[in-house]
Amino acid sequence: MHALIINGSPRVKKYSNTDKILEKIISGMKDSGSTGELYEISDRKQWEEIREKFYHFDHILIALPLFVECIPGLLLEFLETLPVPAKDEFAGERKVTEGSETDSAFSKKPVLSFLLQSGFAEGCQLRCGEEYLSILSGKLGCEYGGTLVKGNNFGIRLVEEKDREKMVLPYQRMGQIYGEEGNFFSEECKKFTGPEQFPGWVRVMVGLMFKTFAKKSFDKAAKEWGCTKSLKDRPYET
Amino acid sequence: MILIVNTTTDRTITENLHAALEQNGFSDAGADAKKEQKNKKGNNVYEIVEAGESRISPCIGCNYCWLKTPGICSIRDDYEEILKKMVHADQLWVISGTALGFMDHKGKNIYDRILPLATMYLHFKGKQMRHYRRYKQKMDFGLIYSGEAEKAYLERWNGRAALNFESRSLGVFSKEEIKEAVTCMH
Repeated sequence: MHALIINGSPRVKKYSNTDKILEKIISGMKDSGSTGELYEISDRKQWEEIREKFYHFDHILIALPLFVECIPGLLLEFLETLPVPAKDEFAGERKVTEGSETDSAFSKKPVLSFLLQSGFAEGCQLRCGEEYLSILSGKLGCEYGGTLVKGNNFGIRLVEEKDREKMVLPYQRMGQIYGEEGNFFSEECKKFTGPEQFPGWVRVMVGLMFKTFAKKSFDKAAKEWGCTKSLKDRPYET
Repeated sequence: MILIVNTTTDRTITENLHAALEQNGFSDAGADAKKEQKNKKGNNVYEIVEAGESRISPCIGCNYCWLKTPGICSIRDDYEEILKKMVHADQLWVISGTALGFMDHKGKNIYDRILPLATMYLHFKGKQMRHYRRYKQKMDFGLIYSGEAEKAYLERWNGRAALNFESRSLGVFSKEEIKEAVTCMH
């Protein structure tokens, strides 16, 4: 399988958590003998090429960060410009002539899968966004290939290299499954999300961590970024 | 204060809203500067921002508003004025066009760029993680859309979006349901 892979994050590639995740997904796909062609929505210069290629792939994967319960505005802006084919424009099975695919019309409907990631850790935080992605695939004239849902990724950009590797490594196995099956419907992919909600005692522990370790690490990151104000500053209060 | 942000270029929606609100005894903060000063925080004041042709870029997820310049967006465009108004608003109503069953990107950008109103710090609210609100002011969310959309989904989305600010959904209405929307403005 050769898939079109789109990093739907509006953040530049260098600092994109989604990009670090996709590196592992693509590496996993290679393990299963599949390949992917990666594009970035954050780079508007790539939009035209993605538009031209979109409906010529059998498999498309859009990876995105959750932005206010749904997809980021920039990705939405791009998707609004896709030339969605009418239903009868899909020719059915892909035709092959002399070893190369014909250019005629659009082949069969692409299978569009998603990888939805967020900062919030619990699975329940991403379900509203996930519901839209299933609606979206239909609106774009694609078959839905499911969504790999995973939270707790905020720190990827902030942590040291070796911790980053630890955070993103599990995605390699997900890439392998995607490469084999071309979708995220397997039980293993569903389980990858982790808990929907944390039980009470975990919330107490994590809540304590927010006030101590997490607060300190945010304050430290802010200092490194040159922040001179309290992170609780209220610049527009009158 | 009821803040209404029209991200479409269709002024008939806001004209209808304006008329319905005036009829219900609300006063337009934008129309009278003195009144604005006097009633800025009152419940019977509304302000309409026509943002259909404004320069409002999408959020680029830089996190500067949380970690570098707390509360201030790194993108200096027409959104800044809207953000300053939000700090005093009890209700935010966004008027948006639609695309692909959802609101269009111009509407979504208004919500994505709202992050400076939250801080980096986290806590559990109910049973879920939330960011702390930066300001004391609580702002409920209403949505008016123009065009085809999956309304049931928009309703779910609006409820979830409001939860992020510990506020509630005021409802989702098509532009043909302006009168119903106004009954939720108070």
